[in-house]
Amino acid sequence: MNHFLIILALLFAAAPERLFGAIGCTLSNPAEDLKYLYPEMTTFKEELKEFPKLPDGAGLFKGLRARLGSDLDPIYETYETPYTVYSIFKGDARIGVVHGVNVPGKGGVIQVFVATDPKTGEIKNFFFQRLESPAARQLRSKEFRMQFEGLTLADFYKHDYYAAAQPGAKADKLAALKPPSLDPGGKPDYEASLRGLRKNLILLDYFVYGRRFEPFFERAQQARKN
Amino acid sequence: MPKDQQNRGAGSLLPLVIAIGGIALMPLRAQETRHEQQPADPFAGLNPAPAADTSSQPKRSWFSRFFRDNLGFREEVMSEFTSDVEGSNASRQSVGFEVLKKFSTATATVASFDFQGRLVRRDGYNPVLNDMEGASRPGWSFEYHNLYVDLYNVANPLLSASGRGKNVGRFNFRAGRFYVPFGLNLQTDTHGTILQLSNESNFGNDRDWYAGFWGSINRHLNYDAYYMAGSGYDLEYRGQSGLAAVRLSLSNKYSSEYGLEGGVSVLGGERLAQPAWSSSLAEPAPLKTQRIGIDARYRHTAPRGLLTGTAELSGGHDARDPVVTQLYQAEYLRASRRWGIASQFRRFSRDGAGTDSAILGEFTWYFRNDVAGSNSHWIKLNIERQIQNYPEPPRTIVALQYYFYR
Repeated sequence: MNHFLIILALLFAAAPERLFGAIGCTLSNPAEDLKYLYPEMTTFKEELKEFPKLPDGAGLFKGLRARLGSDLDPIYETYETPYTVYSIFKGDARIGVVHGVNVPGKGGVIQVFVATDPKTGEIKNFFFQRLESPAARQLRSKEFRMQFEGLTLADFYKHDYYAAAQPGAKADKLAALKPPSLDPGGKPDYEASLRGLRKNLILLDYFVYGRRFEPFFERAQQARKN
Repeated sequence: MPKDQQNRGAGSLLPLVIAIGGIALMPLRAQETRHEQQPADPFAGLNPAPAADTSSQPKRSWFSRFFRDNLGFREEVMSEFTSDVEGSNASRQSVGFEVLKKFSTATATVASFDFQGRLVRRDGYNPVLNDMEGASRPGWSFEYHNLYVDLYNVANPLLSASGRGKNVGRFNFRAGRFYVPFGLNLQTDTHGTILQLSNESNFGNDRDWYAGFWGSINRHLNYDAYYMAGSGYDLEYRGQSGLAAVRLSLSNKYSSEYGLEGGVSVLGGERLAQPAWSSSLAEPAPLKTQRIGIDARYRHTAPRGLLTGTAELSGGHDARDPVVTQLYQAEYLRASRRWGIASQFRRFSRDGAGTDSAILGEFTWYFRNDVAGSNSHWIKLNIERQIQNYPEPPRTIVALQYYFYR
């Protein structure tokens, strides 16, 4: 048996690396969590997504920083980080998409999961799987999280423009969000959570929605230059 | 006041009223001007791009789909040097890999496969926690660790459409070699770490060959129920009946909301083990084994980082000899995930075979430290002070480990 396993090991070692993927950052208990989000679910499907395996993955990863508007953390946000996209089905109909990311917070990891509409990309729900923060209770509150329902990545891109060129614009849906009442110590984790949500939506736009919100990013960039 | 004087007065107030009115209206005018100066909404009329038409994409072959879709491959390099204060030095160098493949239909993930293997070179030997099997493998050897398949929702063919929906995640089948379903090891990846949990001391192996079911009972509890061969490394029967194991554990909800994991485990039957007082070369023989255990792990934010406390307690019998196992561990991980420290106390006592106990301290510097453990790169310094090591005298073992997994 040992000889068989050594041959197996050599076969795998000889295979081109690009053939293979990695093991994903996942929900700890996907069936239970997804059933809670989508009680009508009958099945779900996991898909592993990695930048090294995407067409022009290096370019997309480089673009992530620009779309996020901040540097990527060398420990939490590497090029090789794998992602798992969950598609939720009722019968043959896809009724939801769920995806999670890790971002660094003040106290450690913040794992932001988002559930979106498979057609429009609108947020249906967002929640924290792990939230190592002194502000965890406030950030987990339903009142705070519910405000994000219906937003899309387009609203985040628009916010960049409005915040710089038209502060207080009524069209700026992000500016209208009410942050939870936090101690000054909890503010960095609030900002990290918003960053995590934005990063999550950008990655979903890459992985699932075929970059359909890209026109908003480009328009925001142009408008800010003008 | 005379009328003409009143008229003069009114006339003299008029410019003042106009001036005040003008001043009062200035902000409004300024606001209007600002509004006029605001650029037009650059997003007016802009819509998301239409979804890409995937029907025009070329159809990929079965081979391409198999090797590109949901196939994870990770490479591993481990270099470990150990020394005790008596001057016994040892080296363990290995290269390895892990393969994880998930199989899906158009609407469901139905199965997965996992395999971990290492090609190892050992020179000398010290009994560090992550290499208790190494004494019997000097020189070159190939080792396998995980080797199992999971089949998800196996009861679906027997259920109605609504029954399938209600029972998603409830009846999953696992067969192969994986962590013994006792204590926290099922939910803890100790593949690369030096610190281990208590199953290796408790059962002679932290993994075993088994088949059985796992899943969620409800929103609060998960279950694992397996039949195990009880043979440890190689799948073999030498007259042992095998073991039955059941574990009930808290669902992910508790880990997510409260940072709490935990469970109770029961295990009984026969496994293969070296007879007590025998040499390590003696043939393993069936040993009647009974255990019941309780375990918990709790994460809590600490200044600029995260504290984690772990405990595993179990008791039972090996043949007629009472057995008690204790393990306590405390860890601190910096919020940047750049470095961490850990300490562990472990004690295993079996009547008739003495007591082993030790305290360990560890410092780790991380170059990469992915939260999901899928991208790890570190250097570890671990010091184990054995307090009791029956029948030999206790030793102090220092281990320096370099680990890369990506």
